[in-house]
Amino acid sequence: MSIFKARVKEFEDVLAAPQDLIDLKQLRRLAFNGVPDVQSFRALTWKLLLGYLGPRRSSWTTTLAQKRALYKQFIVELVLPPGHSINGDGADGGDGDKADSRGVGLQDHPLSEGPESRWNTFFNDNEFLLQIDKDVRRLCPDISFFQQPTEYPCEIVVHSKGEHGRRLHERVVPTVLSSANVERKGLGMTKINLITKRSVENYAAMEEGQEAHWEVVQRILFIYAKLNPGQGYVQGMNEIVGPIYYVMASDPDQSFRAHAEADCFFCFTALMSEIRDFFIKTLDDAEGGIKFMMARLSNMLKSKDLNIYELLKSQELHPQYYSFRWLTLLLSQEFPLPDVLRIWDSVFADEQRFEFLIKICCSMILIQRETILENDFASNVKLLQNYPPIDINVVITHAGSLA
Amino acid sequence: MAKKTYDLLFKLLLIGDSGVGKTCILFRFSDDAFTSTFISTIGIDFKIKTVELRGKKIKLQIWDTAGQERFHTITTSYYRGAMGIMLVYDITNEKSFENIVKWLRNIDEHANEDVEKMILGNKCDMTDKRVVNKERGEAIAREHGIRFMETSAKSNINIERAFCELAEAILDKTSGRESAENPERVIIDRRNNEKAPGYSKCCA
Repeated sequence: MSIFKARVKEFEDVLAAPQDLIDLKQLRRLAFNGVPDVQSFRALTWKLLLGYLGPRRSSWTTTLAQKRALYKQFIVELVLPPGHSINGDGADGGDGDKADSRGVGLQDHPLSEGPESRWNTFFNDNEFLLQIDKDVRRLCPDISFFQQPTEYPCEIVVHSKGEHGRRLHERVVPTVLSSANVERKGLGMTKINLITKRSVENYAAMEEGQEAHWEVVQRILFIYAKLNPGQGYVQGMNEIVGPIYYVMASDPDQSFRAHAEADCFFCFTALMSEIRDFFIKTLDDAEGGIKFMMARLSNMLKSKDLNIYELLKSQELHPQYYSFRWLTLLLSQEFPLPDVLRIWDSVFADEQRFEFLIKICCSMILIQRETILENDFASNVKLLQNYPPIDINVVITHAGSLA
Repeated sequence: MAKKTYDLLFKLLLIGDSGVGKTCILFRFSDDAFTSTFISTIGIDFKIKTVELRGKKIKLQIWDTAGQERFHTITTSYYRGAMGIMLVYDITNEKSFENIVKWLRNIDEHANEDVEKMILGNKCDMTDKRVVNKERGEAIAREHGIRFMETSAKSNINIERAFCELAEAILDKTSGRESAENPERVIIDRRNNEKAPGYSKCCA
């Protein structure tokens, strides 16, 4: 207990010190050994280690205000459907010719196929949105967190004022047309009730004025994909944003927690700038690409334990069978969430970014050495693809001992 | 080395769009269970199941792949070693059906020429949400000369049958290659033979 208190004190000394400049070197040293699960330590440490916040405390208020305002602007411009009611007068910028001062004038309409049509873009977005939708609805199914409502829903999205499509998933909910329910009055049809909606049971959408955490994550991924069109959305990004969002949205400090979405977006973007190449197919073979990373792990294994290396090789158990997912997702699918957070403390604190991640992966294999040497190909693939339950500190300590 | 507990080893591969239920199909077959809360497959996953066909113990090594385009460089490298490939679409998702043609082209490009193929229209329990009718599935299968079945991992419809039929087709081919004693066995169309005897014993 006293050791724990001492650790908390150390973090307090670094993060809450009276001086303006935070000692990042010291913070890295502390975080490398794990951030205590108290106060805002982890959320704040990650913001600093990922570079979202600078080391000068006095700069934070301005940075946060600017970034959060910018994020809000992203929502208005990228998420709300064309012609929405709050896309105010200023939205058109210098285009004074338009008679209609709202975002979309009469020239544009949902059936427009013009390349400039915002409606056209809107419908094209739905293709990758559909993929995001599938994935955020299956994010961390072993915990209920993402299915629960957030305390801080995005107001301009959840109050639809009767408009359809502000909630991203509304755009891609499969709709089924069925016959009947057409009420006629006189000559014209007046009412057609034939659209039925559905969604995955547990990841159900919330009522007007509320939204679930998975909906927030969906918006973050959507905006990221819109702002990075060359990359778009790639499966697995949901597993990267998930733990960051969880940390930000469970920050005990209410003044931070209220802005979890915006802060998470920028932390995610910062992290993606470092691991983006893992997600780009054309960079697989480039330095920094995923195959390069897998080769680094393979080489480390070879130098640490030639027997294991040779055995896996003779069984034709290629590194991509297991390490592709390990590395691409920074181990987020291999361990329970609390363990993932602990691993990421060390990974983010590592200045030679990802050297330590590779060491952890290498240790995961070495720790299972005796079993692997006994096993046949099939058992070994299973073992490495479904890593057995383990005290995560054993793995991290082992990795720390690798030279 | 462990003692060999099987007579033949068949490598199978599951491909198809993201979210059509590949992982659920495999989970139903290997663990006889269903859960709708699967995380998305990143890269490639793996299961083993041993079945008995015509008195032979056959070990099925089944690879489950990620559906999204990004993973194709990783997953297409498995096509080459596969002896059987399941192409899966979702009967409630038009796009996933249209993409079957694309997946077939992938097979032509990357797999062995004589690989056994089968098309599965999954989620056939969701009748009220169906958008692809069975006839269209049958038609595309006929057009390419491939077996076809509608399945439901959730309601456990045709899952075991699908794997056993695919395995049996491979077995026919393998034994045909080993000794040409049964040449008439090679061409078998089981589509009109729904309740063929012998299935009751398979996958025991």
